[in-house]
Amino acid sequence: MAFLDALLNGLTLGGMYALVAMGLTLQYGVARIMNLSYGEFLIAAAFAAYWLFQVQAINPLLALLLVVPVAFAANWLIYQIMLHPLVKRSRNRGELEVNSILATFGLLFVIQGLVLLLFGSNYFSYTYISNVFIVAGSPLAADRLLAVAVAVVMGSGLYLLLMRTRPGTALRAVSVDPRAAQLAGIDVRAASAMAFALGGGLVAASGVLVSMFTTFNASMGVVFTMKALIVVIMGGAGHLLGALTAGLILGLVESFVAVYVAPGLTLAATFALFLIVLLVRPTGMMGRAGA
Amino acid sequence: MLELRNVSAAYGQHLALQGIDLTVHEGEMVVMLGANGAGKSTLLSVIAGQVPARRGSGVSMAGIDLLGLLPHRVVEAGVALVPEGRGIFGAMTVRENLLLGAYPKRARAEERCSLARVMTLFPKLEERLGQVAGTMSGGEQQMVAIGRALMSAPRLLLLDEPSLGLSPLMAGELFKALERIREIDVSVLFVEQNARKSLAIADRGYLIENGTVVGEGTAAALLADDSVQQAYLGVAKRA
Ligand SMILES: Nc1ncnc2c1ncn2[C@@H]1O[C@H](COP(=O)(O)OP(=O)(O)O)[C@@H](O)[C@H]1O
Ligand SMILES: [Mg+2]
Repeated sequence: MAFLDALLNGLTLGGMYALVAMGLTLQYGVARIMNLSYGEFLIAAAFAAYWLFQVQAINPLLALLLVVPVAFAANWLIYQIMLHPLVKRSRNRGELEVNSILATFGLLFVIQGLVLLLFGSNYFSYTYISNVFIVAGSPLAADRLLAVAVAVVMGSGLYLLLMRTRPGTALRAVSVDPRAAQLAGIDVRAASAMAFALGGGLVAASGVLVSMFTTFNASMGVVFTMKALIVVIMGGAGHLLGALTAGLILGLVESFVAVYVAPGLTLAATFALFLIVLLVRPTGMMGRAGA
Repeated sequence: MLELRNVSAAYGQHLALQGIDLTVHEGEMVVMLGANGAGKSTLLSVIAGQVPARRGSGVSMAGIDLLGLLPHRVVEAGVALVPEGRGIFGAMTVRENLLLGAYPKRARAEERCSLARVMTLFPKLEERLGQVAGTMSGGEQQMVAIGRALMSAPRLLLLDEPSLGLSPLMAGELFKALERIREIDVSVLFVEQNARKSLAIADRGYLIENGTVVGEGTAAALLADDSVQQAYLGVAKRA
């Protein structure tokens, strides 16, 4: 049942990629910050979950309730203190992109350095649930399934928040046209800070979930940043459903390439897919539009 | 109600406005006429807080100093701008656009009332509430834009060339709708290229050239003025 294995694996992997990318698409699409330190927050949260589980005996689901608010607050502060001055200084979107890439590149090393200092460079993992379900003859780890279930709940919650509430609509408005959003009475700075913080909370949640079923180390953040970036660009910046679709596609492609071609070629396949999308639809699969 | 005193503004070295004095009284409809590049849009942007004024300028609304306020604060002070090009959200539905207009705190409690008002002003929008705004005609999009601005419960509405790009038929309909904005106790300051139609509905007008006010008066007086007729109404100079 190699096919079913690959399918299940691809869907769970893709679901996680989609959640990871949703946070980045908020930060990039609404707050207009290209955050190169994005994956470091995921790894930091994974380590926090590890520490809470091993040392404090707090299970990862409860850890979410601690880690996510802290990450939200930290990212809000980072936006207000470190990134907003860049927004004020940059005369246009291109300039802000360059400035934010440079600033968050620095932040990447700060966070990575802290994690290295606390945990060293070894690989870590822990076992929260070890049950394995058999789905139509294919094994599916329960921890992985749980992670994806939580991801689905959070992703849908975010979607409803953005599509059905007034503050969510305001975030979408800022993502499409900040100038017009100002004229509609929206505080663009507050909305951007909120989007950046939401993205930070989401990536921290992803980190906790990922830590339940993978092995991680302090320098793995960049891999997640890269994949999230690929998904965001494929799906169109600021586009949640685009991120979901692109995330699932990426997960499935990686999984099928690993099973049917060669496990060593998954990263190559990821980039091939990325190139194809860029060549065919440079604005992403769904174009650049509000959520 | 809106008071501009000695307003100047510059883009870098380029002085776009120099010493503008302009007033809009409660309940008034005032038009600004002037050639392209005269500075009309810049003036509206200064009032809305999108372009900074130079030192020594004064902009106040019902006694509140607007200078230095961020654009969303200006909206909270009761001034709503519909920019040239409308500034609506094309990917959102008409309803979403209108409800977004009621985002300011001052507008939230009155949201239902405001929506009903906009529906009476633009009955066409009522059956289009679910339509994606970007798929509407230019005239309908302008109605959405004005409706969105009115949803913020403004005391003063600023409109930048609302009839731009509309067919004569649609433009006619738009001017009729503008006339009716009076009935809902909102003052209007608007920029128009169509001098004849706009002077027909306005109370007073200002003529702007090279960033300064070169003439002002009641709409009737401006309509009758020789130089206005030549410059804006296409009447040939008398021999
Ligand atoms: N964003 C801008 N940057 C630099 N110059 C500008 C900008 N906007 C307008 N200008 C200049 O300011 C002057 C006034 O423009 P504007 O206010 O748009 O005039 P109007 O609306 O009357 O056509 C023009 O000379 C125009 O070229
Ligand atoms: Mg103009």
